[in-house]
Amino acid sequence: MIMEDDDLKNIWHEYDRRIEEAKLLNLQSWALNFRWFQDSRIQKARSKLGAAVRFKLFAVLLGVVWIFFLGVLVYGNQLKNLYFTISLGMIILFNVIAIVVYIKHIILIRKIDYSESITDTQKRLANLQLSTFWISRILWLQMPFYCTWFWNSSLIDFSSLRFWLITFPITLFFILLTIYLYRNINIRNIDKWWVKRLMMSGPEYKSLVEAKKFVAEIDEFKKDLLLNKEFQNM
Amino acid sequence: MGTQQAGENFLKLIQDNKGIIVRICNSYCAKKNDREDLAQEITIQLWKAGDHYDPNQKFSTWMYRVALNVAISFYRKTKTAISPMPLDEGCHELEDKSEAADETDGNINLLQRFINELGELDRALMILFLEEKTYAEMAEILGISETNVATKISRTKKKIKQKFSELNK
Repeated sequence: MIMEDDDLKNIWHEYDRRIEEAKLLNLQSWALNFRWFQDSRIQKARSKLGAAVRFKLFAVLLGVVWIFFLGVLVYGNQLKNLYFTISLGMIILFNVIAIVVYIKHIILIRKIDYSESITDTQKRLANLQLSTFWISRILWLQMPFYCTWFWNSSLIDFSSLRFWLITFPITLFFILLTIYLYRNINIRNIDKWWVKRLMMSGPEYKSLVEAKKFVAEIDEFKKDLLLNKEFQNM
Repeated sequence: MGTQQAGENFLKLIQDNKGIIVRICNSYCAKKNDREDLAQEITIQLWKAGDHYDPNQKFSTWMYRVALNVAISFYRKTKTAISPMPLDEGCHELEDKSEAADETDGNINLLQRFINELGELDRALMILFLEEKTYAEMAEILGISETNVATKISRTKKKIKQKFSELNK
């Protein structure tokens, strides 16, 4: 049997009729009930709405506590040790940047407008998911400063072998590693095993991979017209 | 009056177009519980997006945009969070309700299965086509040009028709 457009539409309408008859999804009971609706809104706001928002809020809160703790240490040091102050200052700076980005994400998630076109909204959502990479890169930048906070002038000036053979090479290694990670943790390398290990494995990583695929799919979906034009010009 | 009346009017509009929600939920969720969750999520998002609704715009077009956006997001979330659902669970449920296992039943199941096999965006496009939306409306909902809609529709239809004819050989 050869299907025509009308046959497909007829099947769809018949399916529609059956759904209506079978009442697979009964909206009658709640869709018209304003009170249910208001209650449900509150309930949803508490539970499902913010799985992503909740995680980011938690990260912000944790970050604020960490920054406060580091700030107290810096204040207590009173610039007695410049290495300590600069190291902690830089760690605070990268954490502040990450917090600002997280807050920006929370605002963007709350501002998502589902009444915009499907390709635009979905691409925005997928890109928002992918921006986790950016935060991860920023946070890796603080790594070398965890190797320098205990430095002081006497350690560098007088302790010869221990500093130059152990402390300094380790710090140098972490500086080089940080530069490498900063340059290479990006969407292009998402499929590499070490990115998977460093970033996160499990559902969150899987959703990032899916988001990357989906962005490519959306681009492909929108691009077809250009291909068509090329085809027409041939 | 005020807010409550406006709210009830808005929900009345949703109720008048509830078929859209039902069909989209059935195309993006195989399990009954998921369908109900999605239907609630769509209604809530419709309400939230209500401020952006321009009354000069066709309500159903606006509603399709919101409902499909929510359905695709929901589908993507559940797809990555849990293992894939059986494609024909919804169809079996439908089949159980109707007694006659005639050719139409078979075709409905097949069409639903073939739609489920499409990617999220092609699926939205196919639903809009079957809902007899114009190319202009489809373009507006999806955010692509009408020419692109035409190309994609013809490709997707061809794919589905081909699957039907392969099975009927």
